[in-house]
Amino acid sequence: MATQIDPRGPRFGAAIINVLSIIIFVIALDPATEGLAFNLLVIAVASFAIGTFFGNTKHPFGWLFRKFVKPRLSAPKELEDSRPPQFAQGVGLFVSLIGVVLHLAGVTYGVAIAAGALIGASTLQAYFAYCLGCQMYLGLKRIGVIRSA
Amino acid sequence: MSIELRIILLVGLLALVVAVGAIWKAKTGTAKKIQDGEYVDLKELGAVKNGQPVTDLTTKVTFLQFSTDFCTFCGPTAKMLQALEVADPNVTHLEVNVTDRLDLVNKYNIMQTPTTLVLDRKGRIQSRIGGTPKAHTLVTEIGNFDI
Repeated sequence: MATQIDPRGPRFGAAIINVLSIIIFVIALDPATEGLAFNLLVIAVASFAIGTFFGNTKHPFGWLFRKFVKPRLSAPKELEDSRPPQFAQGVGLFVSLIGVVLHLAGVTYGVAIAAGALIGASTLQAYFAYCLGCQMYLGLKRIGVIRSA
Repeated sequence: MSIELRIILLVGLLALVVAVGAIWKAKTGTAKKIQDGEYVDLKELGAVKNGQPVTDLTTKVTFLQFSTDFCTFCGPTAKMLQALEVADPNVTHLEVNVTDRLDLVNKYNIMQTPTTLVLDRKGRIQSRIGGTPKAHTLVTEIGNFDI
């Protein structure tokens, strides 16, 4: 049975990813700092991998949220199913891995392209509570990318 | 690439994303009127209400909600529509989980969940609400049925 989580947890995580991807985007566009940007993107990959395979509750960002943020907030109005944000973490993993592959393949601005996509999705999630990754579930299923669990 | 150009690119990207977010926020949960809507095939739909299969519609308005397991706002939407059902004897709420019903997803062209179809007593689709319905949208929809 899926666990119920505070929906502000994933949004807090998205805000961190948002700041990280903005930094990656800006420094990835300069050849002098592109290597550093790539390393930061690998950190994002690791973060998404933890989120995808272990879920929000076991993620360091989830821990930070419960430890430092949640005590300062009022009680959540409603809880959400942990599976949609976990699925969205998988989409983030896919996008950030594409950046890694593009970079390793020698594509100019490959890291910046992936960071740009992450900026888009994390902004919508963090500030509009719009989970693009969750939204993609049915679309991906319809075109046959994902099969029934 | 100069730092100025990079900042301009970043600001441009953020402006675009914020615009998308604002448009989504305004549009989501509003109703789209369906002209000459089709009739929902209840047998194919396989909706279950209070443990019983739904074979006919008994109220003037039915909110048919499509959900999936991977849906953040399906639960809150169901709660909202159930509250309407309790408050108004002319309203029924049906929920169908389409996680494994790709046939329905394709038939009703569902791109997001929750998607709610507003049906009349005959099961004809009158409007369609994508996303978490806005409260005033639902009030207007019920009002359209001239109860």
